[in-house]
Amino acid sequence: MNTFERLRALLARDFDLAPEALQPEATLENLEIDSLRMIEILFCVEDEFKIVVPAEHAELKERLHTLGDLAAYIDGLVQALPKAPA
Amino acid sequence: MRPVAVTGLGVVSPLGNDAGTFFAALVAGRSGVRRIALRFPERMVTRIAAPVDFDAPSHFPAPRLRMLDRVSQFALVAARQALEQSRGALDGLDPGRAGAFVGTGMGGAQTTDDGYYTLYGERSDRVKPFSVLMAMNNAPAAWIGMDHGLQGPNLTYSTACSSSTVAIGEAARRVAAGEVDVMIAGGAEAPLTFGTLKAWEALKTLAAEDPRDPAASCKPFAADRSGLVLGEGAAMLVLEDLARARARNATILARLVGYGLATDASHVTRPSVDGQARAMRLALEDAGLDVDAIGYINAHGTGTPANDPVETAAIRQVFGARAGATPVSSTKSMHAHLLGAAGALELVAAILAAREGVLPPTMNLAVPDPECDLDYVPNVARRVEGLAAVMSNSFAFGGTNAVLVACRD
Repeated sequence: MNTFERLRALLARDFDLAPEALQPEATLENLEIDSLRMIEILFCVEDEFKIVVPAEHAELKERLHTLGDLAAYIDGLVQALPKAPA
Repeated sequence: MRPVAVTGLGVVSPLGNDAGTFFAALVAGRSGVRRIALRFPERMVTRIAAPVDFDAPSHFPAPRLRMLDRVSQFALVAARQALEQSRGALDGLDPGRAGAFVGTGMGGAQTTDDGYYTLYGERSDRVKPFSVLMAMNNAPAAWIGMDHGLQGPNLTYSTACSSSTVAIGEAARRVAAGEVDVMIAGGAEAPLTFGTLKAWEALKTLAAEDPRDPAASCKPFAADRSGLVLGEGAAMLVLEDLARARARNATILARLVGYGLATDASHVTRPSVDGQARAMRLALEDAGLDVDAIGYINAHGTGTPANDPVETAAIRQVFGARAGATPVSSTKSMHAHLLGAAGALELVAAILAAREGVLPPTMNLAVPDPECDLDYVPNVARRVEGLAAVMSNSFAFGGTNAVLVACRD
């Protein structure tokens, strides 16, 4: 599963969102993901992807409008993780 | 002042999760006290409590549930029931003319306990993101307000074991004064966490487990009583301007006619005969009733060595020659002590006693205490005729004594 698919599975499982509505271009606003819900989603994302979300929330609000944006943001954090030794 | 009607009752309790089931269990003398297992069971000295059988996911979707401490879950379910029973108390009402007052002693205790366990036990910083919103004491009242769109006053009262009696009394005053037309008022408590139980253990006020029958460990007014048993749950009432309730043909379950509030201002735990007596007198004055109008008292009756003789003496002081002829029972012998929710649950018991004409008993009263010499309706429910007015007593650590009087309509 790629990052978007994992994110979609997490949102469908834990946030009662319909899987068919969870498309990359779906906006957080249309999915009724408000700032409070976003805090919880990011908490779960940290557990799922073993990352730490460093950004301030205000900054995230600027950057993240769609699920695709969120998946790309997560991807960036995963890429930045130190590589496990081969 | 406008008369106040009770038009809905909601209950989540160790004896069942609706008012009818709860009252039937009281009449049957059933106990909700049993052995429970918490975190670190091997470290628990007190292993008994009165938990609620509660299937949270059947009441709330998962994302919602993650925002609600157990105390708010109980409060919301009880409020929903009470409003359903009122059959439209909020219909056609300006939302600013309705509010919610809730009493709770310990608020979101489970969330606090879980957060500390994460931090100190697991040495992790992964504290849940909604911990503040779940633990805050006003969460139960706030959620009730949001769920039902109540835009009038929304307050949380925390006066330990009298919290919900105070919440109901204060709410009734708002309705009576004409500030609001409908209030949801009551209490909620969910203190059955490892940390809370250990704290109560340390205070040496919890009952020893009855070696033959753990369910019989709470023995109010008995010589062999050894303390209180902690319970959990919620009870909510819909209070409504009587004229409005009549105009919409609501079933008037009772009229709330008296509220008395008096503070000991003496000792943080030791109860005072005078303080308790003053609260009862004030409630009777507020109701405009004489002592012989009261056909039943639901006692605070914690089953602690300290409370029961003091409450007995306070009842004697107020009721005088009528004291021996006025039935008094402690239903805590069955549902245990719901702390901030206790008063609301016990008022429900008293209201249903008046409606059904049956007095719930004081269970586990086999060995009489010479210092507790009233008619405690021992061990068996009693059918009575013409029960008109009932009293419910709540006395608290900190000394806030609150008493409510309700009447059959």
